[in-house]
Amino acid sequence: MIRHIVRKEFTDLLRDGRFRWCAAIVGVLLLVSLGSGLVETRRAEAAHSAAQETARDHWESQGEKNPHSAAHYGIYAFKPRLPLSFLDQGVDPYTGTSVWLEAHRQNDFLMRPAQDASAGQRLGALTAAQVLQYLVPLLIILLAFGALAGEREQGTLRQLLATGISRRDLALGKALGVAGALALLLIPAAIVGSAAITVGSPGPAATPLARGTVLAAGYLAYFAVFVALSLAISAWVRSARTALVALLGVWVLNGLVAPRVAVDLSKWLHPTPSAVEFARTMEREIRSGVPGIERPDRDETAARLLAEHGVETVDDLPVNVIGVYLQESEEFANQIFDRNYGALWNRFEQQGLVHEALSVAAPLLAVRTLSMGLAGTDVEQHRHFATAAEEYRRDLMRRMNGDLAENSRTGETYLATADSWAEVPPFQYDAPSLAWVLQNRTLSLAMLGLWLVGAFLVAGSLVRRAEVA
Amino acid sequence: MTLRTVLRNEWRLLRADRALGLVLGVFALLFAYALANGMAWVDFQEETLAAAREGNAERVESLETELQRIADGGRPSSPFRDPRSPSVLGGAAGAHTAVLEPGPLTALAVGQSDLLPYYYDVSIQTNESSFLQNGEIENPLNLLVGRFDLAFVVVYLLPLLILALSFNVLSGEREQGTLALTLSQPVSARGVVSAKLAFRAILVMGLALGVSLLGVLFSGGFGSPGRVALWCAAVAAYALFWFTLAAWVNGLGRSSAWNATVLVGAWLLLVVVLPAGVNITAGLLHPLPSRVEMITAQREASNEAVNQRSELLARYLEDHPELAGGVAADEANRAALAWAATDAVNRRLEEVTGVYDERLAAQRTLARRYRFLSPALLAQEALLDAAGTGDARFARFRSQVREFAERWRTFFVPAILAGEQMTADVLPGVPAFRFVDEQMREVSARAAIPLAALGGLLALAGAGAVVRLRRVTGPGS
Repeated sequence: MIRHIVRKEFTDLLRDGRFRWCAAIVGVLLLVSLGSGLVETRRAEAAHSAAQETARDHWESQGEKNPHSAAHYGIYAFKPRLPLSFLDQGVDPYTGTSVWLEAHRQNDFLMRPAQDASAGQRLGALTAAQVLQYLVPLLIILLAFGALAGEREQGTLRQLLATGISRRDLALGKALGVAGALALLLIPAAIVGSAAITVGSPGPAATPLARGTVLAAGYLAYFAVFVALSLAISAWVRSARTALVALLGVWVLNGLVAPRVAVDLSKWLHPTPSAVEFARTMEREIRSGVPGIERPDRDETAARLLAEHGVETVDDLPVNVIGVYLQESEEFANQIFDRNYGALWNRFEQQGLVHEALSVAAPLLAVRTLSMGLAGTDVEQHRHFATAAEEYRRDLMRRMNGDLAENSRTGETYLATADSWAEVPPFQYDAPSLAWVLQNRTLSLAMLGLWLVGAFLVAGSLVRRAEVA
Repeated sequence: MTLRTVLRNEWRLLRADRALGLVLGVFALLFAYALANGMAWVDFQEETLAAAREGNAERVESLETELQRIADGGRPSSPFRDPRSPSVLGGAAGAHTAVLEPGPLTALAVGQSDLLPYYYDVSIQTNESSFLQNGEIENPLNLLVGRFDLAFVVVYLLPLLILALSFNVLSGEREQGTLALTLSQPVSARGVVSAKLAFRAILVMGLALGVSLLGVLFSGGFGSPGRVALWCAAVAAYALFWFTLAAWVNGLGRSSAWNATVLVGAWLLLVVVLPAGVNITAGLLHPLPSRVEMITAQREASNEAVNQRSELLARYLEDHPELAGGVAADEANRAALAWAATDAVNRRLEEVTGVYDERLAAQRTLARRYRFLSPALLAQEALLDAAGTGDARFARFRSQVREFAERWRTFFVPAILAGEQMTADVLPGVPAFRFVDEQMREVSARAAIPLAALGGLLALAGAGAVVRLRRVTGPGS
């Protein structure tokens, strides 16, 4: 019997002009956004890896130079695009794309693509993820709002139940019918998506297939929540019209109101400092240190080295005092950077948790966080890259200062040879593993699971009590 | 029965309808919340700017003390930071923070003000790459989602309120069987619909404009009445567009349920799908140029400059013969050599940026053509422009900071080349930045385009409504 219900629902939907139109619009938008995301990601990735190579060339071809001059010259790191970022560009347009790794300073990421876009482009950016998060649920609502309420209004619900089918099987059949119609739209998109993943992207390997599979499962759970919710409300309210209005209300709350409320709430709960305040604090701490993190002193360093080596003057030291002192200054500054940047990053992550926690009212927030995480475009993975770049900078400075300290004497003019720069290993970034990503996203996963179970339980209970007329 | 009777009757119905009262109450709350958010943001910006100004004053004060101490026979605290050197006094240690005050109506529309920088430290090191800096510290996730401000409520949610109030102004009467009775009186269908919609429009626009004016009052925006008028015009035109659309759909003579579906569909299409489609199309046909290449170009320029310092100084003096007389005879004037190299890098950067900016401007012009398709994009543009948080005011700020940096250089560079020493006496004469805000004329001229386009869409919907409503005669039609 349930097979007949599924087939009837499916055929009905396919014959419905409204569905065909909506599905066509959503389908086209989905395919176009997939394609444009792919084109854009590949273009950006090509530009970034080319720039990264040029930056390395610049570094290697510095010629004879003092290592500290080379440290000041530094090198640029460009953020690679992960393979899945074509699905969901996440916060990428709002984080910088490159950072200058130089002596004494941890720089900010610069050049946010969004700063070059106009206000209008900010209003309506569209990625495949947004089609999946906003438009597909809407399509589900349009497909399912009348599933039970409509039958009731037309008086066909009584006839149907008279055939002996249980309310639960009827609802299940309707749900599967909707799912079937939806599959016509999603399967081609999934094929295009996975083809794009397997064809491969030049970005760093980040187990794209595994990430893609979890991503697909997350979206399917999200869609299932909407199917269950639509059926629940359709069973609960009297008329199809009321069901539609109520479901659209849910959609507006889920997609428009809750995300922005989360922004303000997160800022209110975990305020971030202004850039002026942040820079001033850092400047003050670098200038005079903080309790427990003392600024090194050149004379003290020299005195300590003299004592260690048991010699009278710096000229007798086997090392260059300047090199040792520079490295000590780096290590001092690094602690100050870790203190300040660490606190800021933690604030961002706490704010992110507020967004995730609010998914108790809006499943979109859970699936969005999950999607950005798997696509590698969330704040945490930006931090992951920023940390890797900073580690590389610190290693570079250690090498430069070590070269200066060991291969020269205090006060002498020392130039490292032209071929010494190539000995520094190039910057290599490894994207985090799937487990790392999921571990960050446990709250979203739990919330999505909760929504799935909750929506099905509520739907089950409301369907059982659905009135016949 | 007159139109006044219709209005009075509507008022009674509305007071009796608890659901409608609830919806209006919810919206009043949303408006208040949005306004409170916007005002908190303005407060934050003002505090930040106060801190920036304080930093300015502190820098000048400490330089003054140091210069005075040196004049009295003291030694500079660091040989690299001797403030008598013009490249130190005009450099980062003596930088001047150029600030952009929040737009007069920022409390109503946060717009681009959370993304684009509203202050820059200007020194002789300021060049095109200085404009690549980030704006305020903000979680990228929050930037992505955007704020819950009044502009958001107006553009996205207000249409929904309007549609909820007016999707059945005519169809409802027909379904209740009261349409025939109403039209038997000396009123036309057009008159009835107009009166009912006018009543709702007064209610909705009264709410939206009332809250806007309240926000203006609290945040002191009445200093620019022209902007307030523009804001109100944009809100009114956008709201009227949706009312007119509702009138048109009602005039088609279908059921209330059909009207509701079609109107919600129209909202989705015009507010959600079209802006996204417009941006996808624009992004595919006219992609934003990548800034990554700029870094490479900048590096290459500075490599070259460092390698040919003395040659560059000679070339610089050839280009600026008026300065040649003042250059210290000492060939080893390191500051002058360094400046020549810096200047060469700056010129090269300006070239690269110039090319980039041209491409960006062309891209934007092309992308902006498509906005005429969506009333939401038009309304947003007009609202942000009125509030002073749109792209134009920030572009103006940047260009004034550029000019200011040039003035700053003109003040310090001749002294660098001449190897002069500065004293505390020069401090009062150091250039200071003052933002010259847009003339109301410019703002209105710019906002006139989206407003006119919005007016055009309004007229289109109005014509449709008039034609359809004229044909409505009674329940049988």
